[in-house]
Amino acid sequence: MSGDSLPLPLPLSCFAADSCEATTLYRELRKPLLRYLVCLGLSADDAQDVVQDAFASLHRHLASGGPQENIRSWLFRVAHNGARNRQLSYDRRFGKPLDPDLESISGEATPEQVVLEKEKFHRLGKAILLLTDSERECLLLRAGGLRYREIGEVLGISTSTVGETVERAIKKLAEKCNV
Amino acid sequence: MCDFSGRLVAWMDRELAGDEAAAVERHVRGCAACRRRVDTYEEVSRAFIAHCDAAMGAKTRRRLQHWVPVLSSAAAAAVLLIVLQPASVKPIPVSPRVADASPAIVLQTAPMRVKRVYRPRRIAPTKTPNADWAFPEPAIQIALPVEAMFPPGAVPEGITIIADLSMGTDGSVQGLRLQP
Repeated sequence: MSGDSLPLPLPLSCFAADSCEATTLYRELRKPLLRYLVCLGLSADDAQDVVQDAFASLHRHLASGGPQENIRSWLFRVAHNGARNRQLSYDRRFGKPLDPDLESISGEATPEQVVLEKEKFHRLGKAILLLTDSERECLLLRAGGLRYREIGEVLGISTSTVGETVERAIKKLAEKCNV
Repeated sequence: MCDFSGRLVAWMDRELAGDEAAAVERHVRGCAACRRRVDTYEEVSRAFIAHCDAAMGAKTRRRLQHWVPVLSSAAAAAVLLIVLQPASVKPIPVSPRVADASPAIVLQTAPMRVKRVYRPRRIAPTKTPNADWAFPEPAIQIALPVEAMFPPGAVPEGITIIADLSMGTDGSVQGLRLQP
C-alpha cells in the first residue's frame, strides 16, 4: 500500500513560477496529508480534493507574498479545516474512521502470524475509536511527521497540551491493546 | 511508576530540551520498567502508522473496487459477444440474382428476344516494315461497296469496313488497316 498509487491531484507545473520550496513541500507532504485526511474519515476522493485545495491555497499564499514560516503546519491546518468542512456536510460517511485492510500489511507472513496480526490490529482499531477527537488528531499529525509545536498550530492548542495529549493517547492504546 | 514515566513519549519524539532529554535517557538506561514502556510505546506508534497506512490503502482499493464489477462485466460481455458471434448472428440474406428472380416477372409479359450487343473486336495493327508508321488523318476518303472487294456473302449486311491505306511518295502501299 502506498499513497503513491493515488493519482497526482495537482500539476506540479503550477508551482514552477513560485518556488522550488512549494514543489518540495508537495512531494514531501502529499502522502502524509492524504493519510491524515483519510484517517480523519474522508474518502479517498474527498482527501484528494482537500489536498488539491490545500496546495492551491498554498500557491495563492506564496504568490501573494504570504509568510513562509511554519508552512508545514499552515498546509496541515488548511487541509484540516477543509476536512472539517466536508465532514460537517457529509457527516454520515464518517461513522467508522479507521477501517484497515490487513492483507496489505501482512506481506509474506504465515497464516498464524496473519491471524495474530489481524487480531492485534482489530484491537488497535477498536482502541483508536475510543480516543477523543483531539487525541486521534494529535496522533495522526504526529504520524505525519509534525512536531508538537506544529501540531499545536494546526489544532490551535499549546505545545504542552499536545505533549500531554500524545502521551495520554499512546498510553491508552498500549493499555487497550495489551501490548 | 517512575517520575520519568510521564515524559517518555516526549523523549521518544525528541521533544524535550537538552538537559531534560539527557536526564530521561540516563534514567531509561537504568530502569528496566521504563525501557519496556518505551518499547511498548514505540511498538504502538509503529502499529498506529501501519494502521493508518492500511486504512488509506483500504479506502483506495475500495474506490477501485467500485469499478471492478463494471469493468469485469464489460469485459465478460465483450468476450461473450466475440465467442458467440458466429452462432448467434443470422446469416446475411442473399438477394436473389436477377436471373433467378426474373422468371416471375417475365411470366406476366411476353417473352422478349434477347438482343445481343455486338462489340466489335479490335483488329491488331498489322506489322509493317516501318515500326514507327502511324495512321494519319485520312487525306482522301473513297467509298467502295463491299461486294466490290469481297465475294458475295463474305461480309454480313449492314457492316461497313473502313480501309486505311498509307501510300508512299512513289504510289506504293506502305500500310493497310481494315476497321469494321
